[in-house]
This record gives sequence, structure tokens and C-alpha cells, in this order.
Amino acid sequence: MVRYGFLYDESKCIACLACVVACSTNNYEDHMSENIPNPYWGTLATNIRVVLKDQGRPEQLLLSCQQCERAPCVEVCPTGASYINKSTGLVEINYEKCIGCKACVTACPYNARWVDPIKMLPMKCMGEACKARVEKGEQPFCVAVCPAEARLFGDLDDPNSEISKKIASTKTTRLKEALGTEPKFYIVRG
Amino acid sequence: MSLLVDRLERIKMTRRDFIKTAAFTAAALSIPTGGLKLIESLAETQTESKTTTVASGVTLPQYIPTNCGMCGGGCGIKVGVINGRPVGAVPIEGHPQPGLCGRAASLPWIYDNPLRLKKPMKRVGERGEGNFQEVSWEQALNEIAAKLKEIVSKYGYKSIAITYHDVCSYETSIFTYLLGTPNAVQHVSTCHLAGSIARANVLGVAGPTLVDPDYENASYLLLVGRSLSTGIMGQVKRARSNSKLRIVVVDPRMPELSFGNAEWIPIIPGTDPAFVLSLINVVIEEGLYDSRFLQKYTNAPFLIKQDGKPLTEADLKDGGSPTLYMVYDSLTSSLAPYNKASQPALSYEATVTLKDGSTVNVKTAFQMLRERASQYSPSDASKITGVDPDTIRRIAREFALYHGVADDTWYAAKNGNEYDAVKGLLILNALVGNIDAIGGLVFQEATGFPSMVTLVQTPDGKTVAKTVYGATMPQEMLGDATQKRVDQLKYKLTLGTFDAVLDAILKDDPYPIRALFIIGTTPILRDMNASKVIQAYKKLDLVVFINVLYQDDADYADYILPDTIFMEREEFISTKWTAHAAVQLSRKVVEPPEDSDPREAFWTMFEIARRAFPERAYALGWKDEYSDYSKYEEEFAPKVIDSKLTAVANKWGIDKDYLRSNLESNGFFILKKKSYYSKPYKSSLGTPSGLVEIYPLSALASGLDPLPKYVPPVYTIPRNPNEFYLVNSKSPMVSVTATILEPAKFLEDRTIWMNPIDAARLGIRDGDLVQVESLDLPGIKAVAEVRITNRVREGVLYTRAQTGGRRASRLVAMKHFSTAGINPDYLAKDSPLPIIGAGATNSSVRLTKL
Repeated sequence: MVRYGFLYDESKCIACLACVVACSTNNYEDHMSENIPNPYWGTLATNIRVVLKDQGRPEQLLLSCQQCERAPCVEVCPTGASYINKSTGLVEINYEKCIGCKACVTACPYNARWVDPIKMLPMKCMGEACKARVEKGEQPFCVAVCPAEARLFGDLDDPNSEISKKIASTKTTRLKEALGTEPKFYIVRG
Repeated sequence: MSLLVDRLERIKMTRRDFIKTAAFTAAALSIPTGGLKLIESLAETQTESKTTTVASGVTLPQYIPTNCGMCGGGCGIKVGVINGRPVGAVPIEGHPQPGLCGRAASLPWIYDNPLRLKKPMKRVGERGEGNFQEVSWEQALNEIAAKLKEIVSKYGYKSIAITYHDVCSYETSIFTYLLGTPNAVQHVSTCHLAGSIARANVLGVAGPTLVDPDYENASYLLLVGRSLSTGIMGQVKRARSNSKLRIVVVDPRMPELSFGNAEWIPIIPGTDPAFVLSLINVVIEEGLYDSRFLQKYTNAPFLIKQDGKPLTEADLKDGGSPTLYMVYDSLTSSLAPYNKASQPALSYEATVTLKDGSTVNVKTAFQMLRERASQYSPSDASKITGVDPDTIRRIAREFALYHGVADDTWYAAKNGNEYDAVKGLLILNALVGNIDAIGGLVFQEATGFPSMVTLVQTPDGKTVAKTVYGATMPQEMLGDATQKRVDQLKYKLTLGTFDAVLDAILKDDPYPIRALFIIGTTPILRDMNASKVIQAYKKLDLVVFINVLYQDDADYADYILPDTIFMEREEFISTKWTAHAAVQLSRKVVEPPEDSDPREAFWTMFEIARRAFPERAYALGWKDEYSDYSKYEEEFAPKVIDSKLTAVANKWGIDKDYLRSNLESNGFFILKKKSYYSKPYKSSLGTPSGLVEIYPLSALASGLDPLPKYVPPVYTIPRNPNEFYLVNSKSPMVSVTATILEPAKFLEDRTIWMNPIDAARLGIRDGDLVQVESLDLPGIKAVAEVRITNRVREGVLYTRAQTGGRRASRLVAMKHFSTAGINPDYLAKDSPLPIIGAGATNSSVRLTKL
């Protein structure tokens, strides 16, 4: 039993977007020829949304599923398709149960789910290929490709994991904590 | 209900099914005769068994090490492959230059892209119309060769020019001998030229990879006109692994690095030299320099005469040496040669009597630098640069106190006056004594990687060209290959100024150039004044475009020849961006797509030569049987790589098979780890004095002012309310190739950035269309959408280089996303710096709201 979480270090990110593209090529390669592979976000078929703020001090946040402990997407799902995998702590979708009602997409306060234009079903982090890597004991693609050491993934319950050590030693924030969603996605602000 | 079933069916078309489809496609690949051995060896490493299928049933790719070719960087990446198709990439861990960035992550899109050049094509309409018909390799090569022969018979070998990029520059040195011309002229003038000349002057080494900040150990990194996020992710990795590193970026626009923790100092474009001189001023006037380093390892104590030349022993006595530079020894209170003085004075001024009895005033180089820098006090420099004087003082103090390192730059700010900026930055590094020190500006360990071709003297006094794989071209066959290049005749220090090739084409100045090979590069998206490039293309008798994708330049070609992608061939190179001595092997990962027939440019050029000048091709080891591409892949290409491996193995006393097997499994081999405090401490530099030259004698000898100074950029300075600087640079998603692949459609920027204050002043809103017109090239206009952002300084517009404004007929016909936005090269004045040849792709424009 592990409780996986992510950390995104905005202060180290150079916005090279390797993670955004790698998520797409590895998890959604069957979308490569689509005109707008992710019309919901108007971007690539990828689970990472680029949030750019140009005014004031410019900022760029790379946002994906926050892997909430109390996930609104799970709570609203009428069929139980959205669920928290008890052995990993990750929020997942069982597509055999999903009816494509998009309640989860609407409920997510982080806009972290998108609707696949081919399958007409909700998509989210992690994609299949990343889950397979984690199953194999490797890092998900966004973490594996990052050249700037800006991403960590690991077991939050293991105090010796890189991510736990970083959270213990660095000031981190989580998005919209006031909603009580208990996200497992930690951010070091730039 | 049926809709739901349909959806469920579609969701079941999972990754595995997709992979099976891809496998079917791969199985249909036609295997060329004779290529079976190669295919077998590929199959050994690429079968399904080498991929991994996890319990959930998802298949993960097998990874094969390569040198990424998505830009010229050559980072170490492993390309993932499933059933013969590239599906992504991951960095090579432990590699001295590991990837990867958004460009490399985009590589699956290049493989079977609709813009991929698949078969040779011949122009059927006028140049620029973009009408081509597919022809056989045989026809294309025969016709090109016939035309070449005709051109050479009229104008000589040197009327042929080749322009190319680093991706294949190792091989390219042989092309000049193949075609008998010296004129292989790269992109250097709008990339690293200014820095390379300054480096050669101050440190005695030219290329940008030979000296680099020690990112993993530095405390303070100053980037002027540079951004770590342009390319080379190994540098980023090293910098980011260093938690104590502070980064300061000086740039008119905020680089991506400053989304993170890098401090951004917005500066007026083209004023970097004044900023750097002001830092030097503060460091000197506040006594923050390392006197001991300056005395011992630099020419700061050299006495300089009124005419700017150094005082030498030959000036003082008959038979004295002209290379024994004189200093004032404070210990003995007398003049002494620099290598004899115990305490060379940094500040000294006197009148000296020369051997002929005449007198001359002399002062130390350090004093001359001090006087020059005093013209750029923070308050004076602030008026030029727009940077607050207190900020200049703070950065200078921080730099000295943290023992900082300033990047010596490549692909720097592009204003044409970067030579003085880089010279100043190198001097700044020397002032704080941070040369080849841990955390300083360090020299790369030499790999001793063999040159493809070397000119050697035979015992009978002849000059012959010897290739790494053992072929020899005799002196009488060298043609014009050993002459100076056409750009060197115009700019004597240049390492490549393509604008001079354009002048030769357009004005026969200094002689006519009539044929051009464009290999792996795109001058329209690379050089100054793109319209001039096009004008030159139209005047040529022969234009051959060799590349992977259909780019703007292809429209003007007579023949388009498809090249292979890096992952479709094997390459062995030295690792460029690391301080260690290292080599890397890029393995063949995939076969080209089944409906295509690309050939390596190396093969193509040999086959053209075999038809046009057979004796030249044969002399360089080519055989008729290599016209069969599979024979080339099986015999000649491996022979070249094997000879390079042998040379490296012999040099380092390593077993070749051991080296090869390590390279095959890891992708890299570190020959020697960086050893600090080597040059100039234990061995001499390549400068005339062997020391770090803060007063570069080689610059003086070339007719340049040895000390840095501020001269305004080559373009007109904007003065009126609707006039702006237009600056450009790359992001980690940008290369000529990557910006026409699908991810760039969504993730790259094809707008013109404008500061909110300018926007409010001119009543422009986000998303408005504007027209920009060059202030220096009348009538040259471009239109783009505006993005209002604080990421650009007031009075400055910014756009990406090599991203938008594409005009290739194919892209226009497809309404391709890359046709939006502007190509800043159209607006940039073609005005390379005299002697040096560096140019500007930044410009100034008049803006009109549409």
C-alpha cells in the first residue's frame, strides 16, 4: 500500500513543456493526427494544462489532476467509475463503468479533466502509459523527462521518499485547500 | 445505447491495438537488397520482446540511445520504439549532456509528418511557386551532377557554395573536398560568431562549447543576452541540481527561466556592452577584483604604448624578443619581461626610452581598461541601458562577492554588437579570477576527436587531404578547397557569414557563386534580410535543398532531396556541451516510413560528386557499388564510424570493442572527467601571451579595438511613439523543425508581445492585429496578433525566432498554423559587423494597428 503524490517546483521550471508533450505522445499517441486533439482545453491531448498569467509578475503553472483525497469527481460520479485506487491513492477511472456523463469534468475544481474527442469520455492524469510505468516501478513520463528537476512523484507515506523529504524541507502549497479536497499535488511557488 | 456501445468499443481501441496497427505498418516495410544484415541487427534490439508489457496489459516501449537532432544541440536521449515506430523519448541518465525539452518530446510527430520529404523532387514551375514533380534518385542526381559540371566549367569549383547546420557539420567538412570548393558557410553570423571571436581574443579558444560556466558548482550565474532555456537541457539540469545557484538574466524580454527563480533585469535592446562595461567599472572602482589572478594569469600588467601596441623587449634592446611583453615589477621597481617579474604592477604609467632613443608613454592594460570602463559609470550606463544605476551596482557587487560566472554566450542577443558585450563578459570573469575554477568559467577537456579530413604534408613537400577512414586526396586534386572562403575574404575573422555568399551570388562580389546546396538548414529562417536570401536563390543556376521537412527555402530549390532523421541512422560524435571529454553514439532506432525513400546527406553528396567529378569521389574512398544505398549503409557508413571509434580508442588507450559496447548500451562514454585549475594555471592558453588577455593582442592585430566599448546596434534606433525595437529569441520548444510539428500549434507562440503600457498608450488590446514595417528595409512589412504581457520591456516588441510567419507554398496551401505570426528575419537589416561578420536579426519597426 502506497499513497502516491506529485510535486511541481515552479521555481525550477523553465517552461520547456517537455512534460506536456511527453504526456501526450506517450499516453495519447492515437490522437496525433487529430485536428484539435483536446478541444476541451483547446490544446494537445495531454493531462497537463498550461496556465499562463501575463499580467503583473508573469507566472506559468503546469496543472494536472491533484489526486485529491476527498475528490469531488469521485463524489459526483453516478456509476462509481471515478474512484480512488486504494493501493496507490491515485484517482482513477474505470471505463467499463463510465457512461460519459461528464459530471466529474464539471465537478473538478481544478479543471484537470478533459473530454477525449475520439472516445467522448473523460481523461485525466495518469494516462495508461504512465500508470504502466509506475506499475513497473518507474516515474511517470512528466517526471522522467523533466530536465530541470522541477517534478517529483512518490509515496507520501514513506518519509524517505524524495517527495516526502522535499515537502518536509521546503515551503509548499496546495491549490484551493479551503475546499477540503485534500490534494496530493504539492507546489513550490516560483 | 448504441452510442454508448460505440464509445466503449472506441475506448477498447487501446494503446495495444494502436501498437498492433503500427506493427502491421512496420511489417510492410520494404527491405532493400543487401540491407538484410542491418535490418537483422535492428530487429535484434527492436522486437516486441524488448518492449515491456505490464500486468495491466499496456506495452511500454524499448528505449535506444541517440543524439537528439530536433535542434543542433545533440543532447543524449533514448528514443522509445514500439514495433518500428518512435513513440517518445526519455533522457539518458548519467549522460554528460542529457536531454530533453519540448522539441525532443515532439519527435514522434516528425517521423511520418505530412510535411516530411519522402522522395526526390524536381522543380517544374518558376522558383518560388513551389511546384515540383517526383523523380527518381537516379534522375535527380544525374541532372544535378550535369548542371554542376557545367557551372564548374564556366566559373570554377569555388562557384559552388554549401550551407548547413551543426547536425551534420562533422561530415560536412568532407563536402568541400568532394566538390572542390572552400565555400561551406554556416549559420554562425546570426548565432555564436560574436562570442566565438571574443573568446578567441580573450581566452584563445573559439567555439562556444569549449568554454562554459560550471553550472553545477557556480554560486551566481549572470546571463546577458542569453537564456538557459534556449537549448541544451544538460546545462539546465546541472544548474537546477545546484540549489545554491542564483541566476540573473539581463534581456529585453523575460525568458522562460524567470517563470522560476531567475531574476530578470529588463534592458534596452542592443545596449548589453554598456551594461557589462558598467559592471566592470564598479568592480574596478570598488576594488572588488582579484589582483593576484590579474597579475599572474592575465595580461592586465602589460605595458601598452600610446599607439595601443604592447611594449616588448624588442622595443627596448637590439635582439630583444617581440613576444616578451614588458611589465613594471613593483618588487624591483624596474621594467621586466612579464614572465620574469615577481610583482607585476596593475597600475603604472611612465615615459619609457626605446632602443632608438625615442620616448613613449606607457600604461598598464589594466589602467587602460579602467579608463575605458570609467566612461560607463552606473549613472552614465543607466542612460544607455535603461537599467537603474543601483541595480547595476548591486549586480556588480553580487557578482564579485559571490565569485560569479558570466555565460560566455552563443545564440546571444542579436543586435550585431555582441562582440563587445561578450568580450566584456569574459573580462568580467577574469576580473574576479573565476577562470577554470570550480564554479567558474571552465575549459572543456579535449576529446581529441578525429577530424573527418585533415590536410597533411607529405615527405615530398606536397599537401594532401587525408580522411579519418584512410582515403587520401592528392594535392593536384584539391581544387579550390583549401582557399579562403568567400565570407573570409570580406570579414577576415568570420567563422561563417552567409550574407557574403549572398553578395557573391547577387553581385559577383568578389567572384560569382552559381550553385548552392542547403543541407539541414533554412537560411530564410536563420539569416538577416530574408528577402535578400530569396533574391539570391532566384539568381542561382542550381539550388539543391536537402532536409527532412518541407521548409520555406524548399520553394526556391531546383531539386529537393529527402534526408534521414537522426533516429534513422547511426552517428558517432564528441559530446558538445560538457566540460568532460566524452563521446556519444546515436543508434539507428527505426527505419524510415515505408512510403519514403530518404538518404543520408552524406551519401547524397558523394553520389552527386561521383557523377560530376568521379575522380574526387574515388580519391575520397567512394566506390561505384555504394550507389546502392543499402551497400553504403552496410559497408561505407559503418567504416567511417569504425575509423572514428578506432581513432578515439587509440588516443585514449581503450579497447575499441569495449568502447563500442559501452556506447551501444549507454549511448555515451566519458573519456576524462573535468580537471579544474588547468588553464592558464598549468598550461598556456591559445592567446599570443598564453595568458587570459583582458587587452586582447589578437584583436589589436586584426585591426579591432582591444578593449570593449559600446557602439549602438546596426539598426535604426526607434525614436517616434509608434516605433519599437523588435527582438527575437528561441524557447525550449523552438527549432526550425519543432515549430512546424503539432505540439507547437498549441504550445508555441506566434504573436508579437507588447508591454501593457505601450498597449494602453496606443489603444491596442490583446489579440488585435498589427502591422510592423522595418525602419531599415523600406516596404518590408508583416502582420501578427498582439499579446499584451509584462514579459517584454516597454518600447520593445518581441517575437519567437524560427516559429511563425512561414511562407512555404505547401504550408500556405495547408493553411498551416505556422503561417501565422512573423518571421523576424525578413525585417532585419543585412549589415554584418566589419572584420567580424556577425549580424543582427533584431530590428526596429513602425507599428500600425489594423
